Amino acid sequence: MTAFRALLRAETRLFVRDRVALFFTFLFPLIFILIFGFLMGDVDEPEATMGLYVAPAASDEILRPILDASGLDRVVDLESVADLHSAVTDRAVDFGLTWDGEALDFLYHPNRVQENYAFSQIALGIADAFNLRRQKLDPILPVTSIHVGSEASTRWFNQMIPGILAFAILSSGLLAVSGHLTTMKERKTLDRLLVTPMPPVALLAAIASIRLVVVYASTLLTLLVSVVLFDLAFSIDWLAFTLLIFCSTLGTMGLGTVIALVVRRPSSAGNVANVLAMVMMFLSGIYFPIELMPSFLRVVSRALPLTYLADAMRFATGVSDMSFVRFWVIVASFLALALLLFPVLARYVVRPGRR
Amino acid sequence: MTDVLLVARSHLLTALRERVTLFWFLVFPVFLLVVLSLVFGRIGEDGGITFDVAFVSFDRTAGGFSDAIEQVVDDLATPAEAGAKPLLSLRRPGSDEDLAEFLGAAMVDVRRGRLAAIVAVPAGFDQSVRARLSPTAAPEDVPLTLYVGSGNAASGMAASILEQVFAGVDRAILARVGRFDESAIVPHRTTWVGSDERETRYVDFLLPGIILMGFFTNGLFGIPGSILFSRDQRVLRRYWVTPLSVPRYLAGLSVGHLTLCVLQYAILYVVGRFALGASVSFAALDTALYLVLAAATFMAFGFLIASLVRTATAGMAVANILNMPMMFLSGLFFPITGLPAFLTAIVYANPVSYLADGLRASVGVESGVFSPILVVVVPLGWIVVSAAVAAWRLRWDVGR
Amino acid sequence: MNARSTADSALMRVTDLTKHYGDVRAVDGISFAVPNASVFTLLGPNGAGKTTTLEMLEGIREPDSGEIEIFGRRLRRIDRPTKQRIGVLLQEGNFEPYLRAREVIALFASFFRTARPVDDILERVALADKARAFVKNLSGGQKQRLAIGAALVNEPDLVFLDEPTTGLDPQARRNVWSVVSDLRATGVALILTTHYMEEAEALSDHVCIMDHGKLIAEGSPRELTAELGQETLVEFSADAAGDDDLGPLDACCKGIRSDAGLVTVETTDLVTTMEALLAWSRERAIPLANMTVRQPNLEDVFLSLTGRRLRE
Repeated sequence: MTAFRALLRAETRLFVRDRVALFFTFLFPLIFILIFGFLMGDVDEPEATMGLYVAPAASDEILRPILDASGLDRVVDLESVADLHSAVTDRAVDFGLTWDGEALDFLYHPNRVQENYAFSQIALGIADAFNLRRQKLDPILPVTSIHVGSEASTRWFNQMIPGILAFAILSSGLLAVSGHLTTMKERKTLDRLLVTPMPPVALLAAIASIRLVVVYASTLLTLLVSVVLFDLAFSIDWLAFTLLIFCSTLGTMGLGTVIALVVRRPSSAGNVANVLAMVMMFLSGIYFPIELMPSFLRVVSRALPLTYLADAMRFATGVSDMSFVRFWVIVASFLALALLLFPVLARYVVRPGRR
Repeated sequence: MTDVLLVARSHLLTALRERVTLFWFLVFPVFLLVVLSLVFGRIGEDGGITFDVAFVSFDRTAGGFSDAIEQVVDDLATPAEAGAKPLLSLRRPGSDEDLAEFLGAAMVDVRRGRLAAIVAVPAGFDQSVRARLSPTAAPEDVPLTLYVGSGNAASGMAASILEQVFAGVDRAILARVGRFDESAIVPHRTTWVGSDERETRYVDFLLPGIILMGFFTNGLFGIPGSILFSRDQRVLRRYWVTPLSVPRYLAGLSVGHLTLCVLQYAILYVVGRFALGASVSFAALDTALYLVLAAATFMAFGFLIASLVRTATAGMAVANILNMPMMFLSGLFFPITGLPAFLTAIVYANPVSYLADGLRASVGVESGVFSPILVVVVPLGWIVVSAAVAAWRLRWDVGR
Repeated sequence: MNARSTADSALMRVTDLTKHYGDVRAVDGISFAVPNASVFTLLGPNGAGKTTTLEMLEGIREPDSGEIEIFGRRLRRIDRPTKQRIGVLLQEGNFEPYLRAREVIALFASFFRTARPVDDILERVALADKARAFVKNLSGGQKQRLAIGAALVNEPDLVFLDEPTTGLDPQARRNVWSVVSDLRATGVALILTTHYMEEAEALSDHVCIMDHGKLIAEGSPRELTAELGQETLVEFSADAAGDDDLGPLDACCKGIRSDAGLVTVETTDLVTTMEALLAWSRERAIPLANMTVRQPNLEDVFLSLTGRRLRE
């Protein structure tokens, strides 16, 4: 017991004094959220401004009400086709429409590659409604959309935040072992501990305890900031949330063991962990939904622990839904990873760094 | 001259032999290029994405509108050509399955993200449509129902595509009943500003950005990393007892760094061109010069950081802090319009923003946010300031 | 001080070199001259100021006062043309871990106007079979030899070796010693610092003993020990012997001291002293364990000058 307490104290001091690690653990996710929040904030409701030129021969009587109802932010009237072209080129408007009485000509900027898809959807809606209206018809086919799911999750950014939290947990866990411990090994500070009667488990328990507290705190902080700054809503299931963090932190530490065992030089282990975390981040449905990936990448995605962790985190924060069974299976799997790998960790990694 | 070249060679060899450096500077940009192209480049392209959609019809009227709807949905589930992927991957109830149960289960799946959407034809749909077509009867609407998941981008896309499809069905129905005159349809065209006949391909938009990202990370991490680690590890002091002077050492480091940039560009270009079908060309003289400007700006920036920081750990910390904001608040990957004031300020102060714009402009994929003069002058300004500060500080600091 | 080096063939001459850090005088007015084709050693305990002195002569530290004359030119600080003709082995330093041994030598060779072929250098420091090995995979001794190779790449006239064998195993040390004597035989002048007495004795033509920043003795190893007088030393271990036991021996010898159980008897008349010792031993029943009879060495010189040992 005393060894554990002493190690706990020492490790805490080390952590707090390492300004760099402190900063990265807390501030990094926040910077991430801040930047992405503003950059991607309106991805669900693109604000589109359309430039309109109606040829003198044509009448815009039917067109106007349709444009009003089409979900456009603003319609800018222009004097000529040339003016319209300039407005689109200069980005004064997002896209343009020329109505000459014969055809609807939609004008786009070829380089606004990331946004044109959304604009063209609006354009198609306008064309369809216009055609019907012109023949004095109403849409005959009643279609209604029903949103299934919690109100909280209507924004893409809401979906993304749990993913970022999951990533933070993953890298923290990985680096606790394949980073912190391996550095101790390389600097031989680990050796100094190992020649004493200190049980390796005590060291692991101390490191794990600190990680748990830190991860929990930084996760809560990040959630708080996103609620305050971006007006997001989460409905956190505290039991599920807490248990998820507990098991996944330990589980990812277990995964760090695998890296530490496989990588030969202790100093490279931290780098390998960073690399893996980065690659996983892009392939696990955090930045873009998995459905958008080609099938072979989707298979890869389903093999990554981060994918499941992100899914589970979305459930625990009330952002999306999942069967209870699935959630607890995921949590249990992480715990199982920990139970399986911690003994391996204690025996094979926490040992002197000599061949 | 040989000393400069050999210092350059040492820097290059070390970078290539350290597996971590190799990964971040060469492998990771390629990885990002490939993944982003595969994902975002397929939106809007036929045979690109497939959505899992469920279809259930509660309306048993044979030969009616419900059948028409079913036909439409079936068509979408058939590949456009042999070997291509259809837009929808359909799930339907089994012949004995209870429809209400099926719908209930499917709704759960939508909520859980396993299905993108459900198309449900409610009972009485056929009658409702007929009633609408009849000028006399006051219809009670039994609408076609689309069940869509909230906040799920894939679901949102599936929904808007389906809505589009059904709007077309509208016209088809009305035409069949003789109320819509197909010949009077107003066609719509898609035109592109400028001389292009079609939209720029995503990979052409992305490739200059990724090349720039490669140069950026190289300059931000590679230069301070090299100088600071060599100084901390007492490698540099072995050079200072020989006739090698600090300026020549820095010159050698620069040459090595620029060679690494050329390598990055080459690999990214080859992958982009031959594996992903990019058509954007960097062959023009002004483009090549602009690439050099970009590499030089980031290199000078790297020297600036190395000169302002005392230890290698501090240098890497600074680099990590600056990395994300500078890369994302620059228009390289996301459009930078509509940001709050303080972030816009960062965008304008960020040299990467100007270089991204300028490079895209020089290969003809311009986004046109900054004026053509600014995209050259601002990076040059950064080079001058960085070089001046770095030269002044490094003379005293490096030689210890 | 005996400036025994011949004034006319001095490759380097140092006059009143000083360096202080606050109140501490790390180097306190040192003067000496290094002749051609010889090994000149600065000997002293840790902290004596040897490395500081050398670093001022290598051009990586600025002297506070004093004059350096090297290759016939008077300089305040070592300049680039001078660096073309010297070779330097720093006490602390590393090479890029991911370069191969021969790439390191090639790199250093490029810094000079003239350089020997890389393979020659590697041959010379016995690293020919490790030419393609990465620096990070070399042992401590091999890295040191590589560093010496880098110091020789330009065929220097004057070579600085700062603590060249500290931390090396005896085999590695002997390797370095043979490189040094080979160099000397080819007419190169070497200036070396060490706190190992055996090294100073084995290699040097000329030794300067330093302590607390000052030069306290100078001369060839033989001259320095000769100044102690024509004496012989008899040493033996006797833990049991107390001061009162040793007292009576005073009469039969020049001096006697005891240090941690090691008794050292200085005598100019070996025979008489030996007889007295044998009698004393039998009388007191104190055995003369591990007895040696030897000539004084530099350690003894240092001890007689400062009262302390070279190695604490």
